[in-house]
Amino acid sequence: MDIQFIGENLLPGKLGQFFIILSFCSALLATISYYFATVSSHGDTFQKQATAGWQKIARSAFGLNLFSVVGIGSCLFYIIYNHLFEYHYAWAHSSTTLPVYYIISSFWEGQEGSFWLWTFWEGALGIIIVLRGKTWENSVMTTIMLSQAFIASMLIGIEIFGERVGSSPFILLRDAVPGPIFSRADYLTLITDGNGLNPLLQNYWMVIHPPTLFLGFASMIVPFAYGIAGLWEKRYSEWIKPALPWSLFAVMILGTGIIMGSFWAYEALNFGGFWAWDPVENASIIPWLTLIAAVHVLIAYKNSGHSYFTATFLVLISFVLVLYASFLTRSGILGETSVHAFTDLGMFWHLVAYVAVFFILMVVFLAIRWKHLPITKKDEETYSREFWLFIGALILSVACIQILATTSVPVFNAIFGTEIAPPPNVIQHYNKWQVPFAVVIAFISAFSQYLKYKKTDAKKFYVSIAVSLVLAVFITAGAVYITKVYTNFMYILLTYAAVFSILANARILGDALKGKWRLAGSAVAHIGFAFLLIGALIAAATNNIISVNNTGIGFGDEFAKSNNPRENIILYQDEPVNMDRYTVTYKGDSTEGVNTYYRINYQVLDTVSGKVRENFDLYPNAQQNAKMKQIIASPDTRHYLFHDIYTHVSSVPLKEEDHEDHEGHSDEENYEKPISHEVNVGDTVRFRDGFITVAGINRNAKIQNIPLSEQDIAIGMQLKVNSKGKSYTSEPVYLLKDGSKFDFGKTLDEAGLKFRFTNVFPDKDKLELMVYQKPKAERSWVVLKAIEFPYINLFWGGTILMVVGFLLSIFRRNKELKQA
Amino acid sequence: MKKSSIAGMIIIAIAICVIISTYADSSTYGSFSDARNTESELHVVGQLNKQKELFYKPQQDANYFSFYLKDNDGKECKVVFSGSKPQDFERSEQIVLTGKMIGNEFHASKILMKCPSKYTKDEVEVTEVSATTAKI
Repeated sequence: MDIQFIGENLLPGKLGQFFIILSFCSALLATISYYFATVSSHGDTFQKQATAGWQKIARSAFGLNLFSVVGIGSCLFYIIYNHLFEYHYAWAHSSTTLPVYYIISSFWEGQEGSFWLWTFWEGALGIIIVLRGKTWENSVMTTIMLSQAFIASMLIGIEIFGERVGSSPFILLRDAVPGPIFSRADYLTLITDGNGLNPLLQNYWMVIHPPTLFLGFASMIVPFAYGIAGLWEKRYSEWIKPALPWSLFAVMILGTGIIMGSFWAYEALNFGGFWAWDPVENASIIPWLTLIAAVHVLIAYKNSGHSYFTATFLVLISFVLVLYASFLTRSGILGETSVHAFTDLGMFWHLVAYVAVFFILMVVFLAIRWKHLPITKKDEETYSREFWLFIGALILSVACIQILATTSVPVFNAIFGTEIAPPPNVIQHYNKWQVPFAVVIAFISAFSQYLKYKKTDAKKFYVSIAVSLVLAVFITAGAVYITKVYTNFMYILLTYAAVFSILANARILGDALKGKWRLAGSAVAHIGFAFLLIGALIAAATNNIISVNNTGIGFGDEFAKSNNPRENIILYQDEPVNMDRYTVTYKGDSTEGVNTYYRINYQVLDTVSGKVRENFDLYPNAQQNAKMKQIIASPDTRHYLFHDIYTHVSSVPLKEEDHEDHEGHSDEENYEKPISHEVNVGDTVRFRDGFITVAGINRNAKIQNIPLSEQDIAIGMQLKVNSKGKSYTSEPVYLLKDGSKFDFGKTLDEAGLKFRFTNVFPDKDKLELMVYQKPKAERSWVVLKAIEFPYINLFWGGTILMVVGFLLSIFRRNKELKQA
Repeated sequence: MKKSSIAGMIIIAIAICVIISTYADSSTYGSFSDARNTESELHVVGQLNKQKELFYKPQQDANYFSFYLKDNDGKECKVVFSGSKPQDFERSEQIVLTGKMIGNEFHASKILMKCPSKYTKDEVEVTEVSATTAKI
């Protein structure tokens, strides 16, 4: 029998599910129509007349697709915003206590929400292509709508031949989760709140990082679609021009998104850094690097006719790598190698299909058009810009292959049944390879700016870079001395390459300011990149754990020998500890909502006069969850111009949960063993922090909820309590009802006491009083880790410069497009 | 031959070296018995023995944490980690350790846990209003 469930609001879910189906069908229709519009436009005159018709259908289908995508988003937002916990998505990702801006982040916490974000951006970019694409609209939109259809299919969540296809955000809680409560018609009254948003994601960066990142991922399809369209319609070199600003746009947005994630990790997570070479991070940076390489060879081809195949290949593979990244992060295959928690929604093969289809599309088009590709037979000059743009792109690609190879270890394990584990020291492993690559890239990014296309006079070239090369030697010497990175030869070399790049590009920028604006974008971006390299190098190589702990009781010499340095330090409340040049004191905690903030005071004392030169508080916080005996710690950072002091708690005493008395778990467990006293009016009883006086007897005591009859006796014992000089009163009650004895204890939380009036001895003329005391409070403490990050602002500043450089380049390339 | 082709071939050669080196750098999954027979670091996968003591007393040493792990062969060993106790440790379903054997203790340099996160767990928590009891 079907149960009529009470209080469910099924309309938004049904409407949303309808929009999902509609978006899938309309995307499919648009793909087919755009396909025929493209094919017919290359046919005879009769077919050409059909083009306009096909295009009309395709555009309407695209409009319908956009409408339904917005509809899906609206329905889902309505469900989350109104806390409709009958829907699994709202229940799993939000709660009634979340503020509105975090409700937005809970929207894309789940895979379904992030797929929606992707399809939304892809649709939005589609509008621009339809409006501005001109002759490219039909062929480019064919590919984009194919991708739209794929993403929509990820959201469908209906069963076909016994296999569930995709995962719908509109699935009901009672369908998603088995449980006996769902046999009750009024089950909704029992579900008072959702699971809530993962506390680590409750950070303002998590509101804007995912939309930016997904705009970046979504925009990577546009250059891909142009590339496919160019091969398909045999417009081999034509597609490069419009694809160039799009590639720059994708690179800029994706780069911004990645950096936001890195900044979030630095600000909100406690792994102590801005980049950890985690598979998830790698998955997003690989397509970014390949597309940057692609941008450079696109420019080389545009200006010299060289590197056609490299350019096309890199543009195409970048988007395939975006899909591969989404496969890695969403299929659960990374399993044991990543700290990120993934939920496997059973879409493994679905995701594989998405990657495979676009990869095959790329391979097929390259293969069938191979003979017609405008690949030059001419040899490049060594002293030419196009040659070094090509070399730079190749080096970036190899750097990607290295990251890809290590990140894909779990994939190889899955394919070949091997059991290879990732390197024990992952960061060292990556740095070993990436530092030399970075050195070469930095050098090329500097000197190739002084090379001309086609042919450069070698002598002039050497003269023009000589000054920067020499000057860089001196600046590097100074820089490595100040920042203390001189311990490692590769570090010095990288610093030198980056400094050289900054100087060389600064001169180009200087020329740009005099009116040669064309190279301004690249100069700024290269300077930004060089600063990023130096900042990352210094911060990563010389970050200094200042909470080094030399106390501790030690667990054998063996342990001490192999495990230095000890990175955590314990601080007792109000006991100052010296840490590096700081005197650090834990000053107590305060609780605000779910977070407990630990006030850590840092002081720098002048060694001579003893005066306080610097004084500031940091508030690292931890979310306590006493039920699960865990804390979730977030750091707090003091930012200086030249360094950061980063602090987080590693361990804190767990707070006891306040709980009501209930069966099997009495309130008395919170107290020490009670002491019973036989007292009379006027007697005084001592306890640890003071004394208690029996002031009198109340023979007319009343008890809430219990009516008293004539025969019942209720007596209150009036107590005056003096604890640590403060006075309180309390009145425990003794009750004789229907011949049975009861007693109603009274607690005095301010003094940590509880009293029970448990018996009356008429023969002795005594009353029995039981005194419960809370155990003496333990000294409060926190275990702390503190790291100094020197010159990290070079890293953040470099990234901002780089984004500005991309922006300038987009303006330039866009202008060229209009002039053409 | 074109210069770019030569450059391309050199790059491909480097790429092959890179991939080979990746696998040279990589470690293996093993058991505690494997760890006894090798000097190098390896990964051990296993489950936390929740019956035995998890030792972390920051008042004594904020950088000493020890526990007992049962590897996938069912062998148990004491594990020592020089650092604070990771958050959420007790609830871990599976633990991946990186480290090596020193004496009879496995010294872990890295601990990776798989936890049934509250935020991914599909288990409905039900609150029912309890009957009011007599109180003054």
